[in-house]
Amino acid sequence: MRSLAIGATGMIAQQLNVETISNNIANSTTTGYKKQRAEFQDLLYQNFRRIGSTSSDAGTVVPTGVQVGAGVRVAAVARVLEQGNLNITDNKLDVAINGSGYFQVTLPSGDTAYTRAGNFKLSPEGMIVTADGYPVQPNITIPNNAVDISINSSGEVLIKLDGQTATQNVGQLQLATFANAAGLEATGDNLFMESGASGQAVTGNPGAPGFGRVTQGALETSNVNVVQEITTLITAQRAYEMNSKVIKTTDEMMQQASQMK
Amino acid sequence: MENSIYVALSHQMALRRQLDVTSNNIANVNTTGYKNQRMLFTEFLEKPGLHEKVSFVQDRAVVRDLSNGAMTQTGNPLDLALTGQGYFTVDTASGPRYTRAGNFHLNDQRQLVDAGGLPVLANNGQPITIPAGTSDVKVSGDGTVATELGPVGKLNIVTFKNEQLMTEVGNGLYVTDEQPEPAPAETKVAQGLLEGSNVKPVVEMTQMIELQRQYMSAQRMMDNEHERIRTMLQRLGRSV
Repeated sequence: MRSLAIGATGMIAQQLNVETISNNIANSTTTGYKKQRAEFQDLLYQNFRRIGSTSSDAGTVVPTGVQVGAGVRVAAVARVLEQGNLNITDNKLDVAINGSGYFQVTLPSGDTAYTRAGNFKLSPEGMIVTADGYPVQPNITIPNNAVDISINSSGEVLIKLDGQTATQNVGQLQLATFANAAGLEATGDNLFMESGASGQAVTGNPGAPGFGRVTQGALETSNVNVVQEITTLITAQRAYEMNSKVIKTTDEMMQQASQMK
Repeated sequence: MENSIYVALSHQMALRRQLDVTSNNIANVNTTGYKNQRMLFTEFLEKPGLHEKVSFVQDRAVVRDLSNGAMTQTGNPLDLALTGQGYFTVDTASGPRYTRAGNFHLNDQRQLVDAGGLPVLANNGQPITIPAGTSDVKVSGDGTVATELGPVGKLNIVTFKNEQLMTEVGNGLYVTDEQPEPAPAETKVAQGLLEGSNVKPVVEMTQMIELQRQYMSAQRMMDNEHERIRTMLQRLGRSV
């Protein structure tokens, strides 16, 4: 029976919905995490009586046909790129992006990955690296004798050396933007890779037109709204239950048919 | 003599189709822009004898409930919902398709596309491209898409004389042979919102219970009829 399969498509889709929501909730405190949302689409339709077919010799046209759909599927798990809140940490090497753009990170493989998580650290050589120790592009090295680091909103990294009053510029943070940032491929560890859907990276300095500004001493929180996720979770659970009820009803009807004398 | 069994059978077959429609509604309870479907039954008359009439049931049509679904706020600037009558137009290789699902995205050429990647058309029949270097997309109530550099196009929002004539082709899309007409002035585009499915779960669940019971009663009638014919044959057989 068709409804058995339709109920199954509903349960599968809701299952994926719950998985997406649980990943959002699990990452509700992940720096720079962007929430995802499952988007549903109806499946193909089967025509039992085609719309516009004629119902008599006189050419009377059927106003509405009998079309039965085949259920539902998840068309996309889209990323919502809304800005997260800025959480003040007062850590000199915490940098938040306020606006669009990604930091560029060099992976051990030599590839470039992109991230919104600006919780940077210094490597033993004094280089600015991510929490996993991957260098941030362009490479910026802070000398050992620096006593103060300041990063301004356009991404210039300025240091003050011990015993000196003047600051000196040791580098410039750059951001990358994409035609379709929602199309970046997430690889975990807060990193994204360029994909066919995202388009090529365009780099520029923070504050340039189309690029966000950076804020030192702050981190961008995840944009997950936990209350919203929980309500979506409840809806998904109920929808799952209803689809399982469809399967149960179908089963009972099939049972009756098989018990016919 | 077996007419009553055939009538009950026609009822059961119609109910099974109805269960398919109802379960499709339930499966699409979270589908953006989905419209609830209802089956329309008609009587099918037959005259087997001179003075008798037997009426069967036939599933005549599936009609869509065209009321607006509930709006949910998503915070995504490319999520668009239509309040009131109307459809967005998307382009496919085989001509325009119409949709109520406004969960749009940008592709790698910065064209506005639907969830399936089909370009959303402007009223000049061209896809809408958001210029590079712009980040702030605003869509006004009449469907004009603008960025900080100015307007880039107006969404083609259309309606049809008889929306029931539109055929679902899946993926939230409709196709029709009718000529599109401009949507009425009261149709507005709302940005950052999505129109949910207009399926009322409680109604669908009660409907499902009801049709299951009807299916059972048709079954019981067939069983009784079967019993009656058997008893009749047994009695007739004994008297011989």
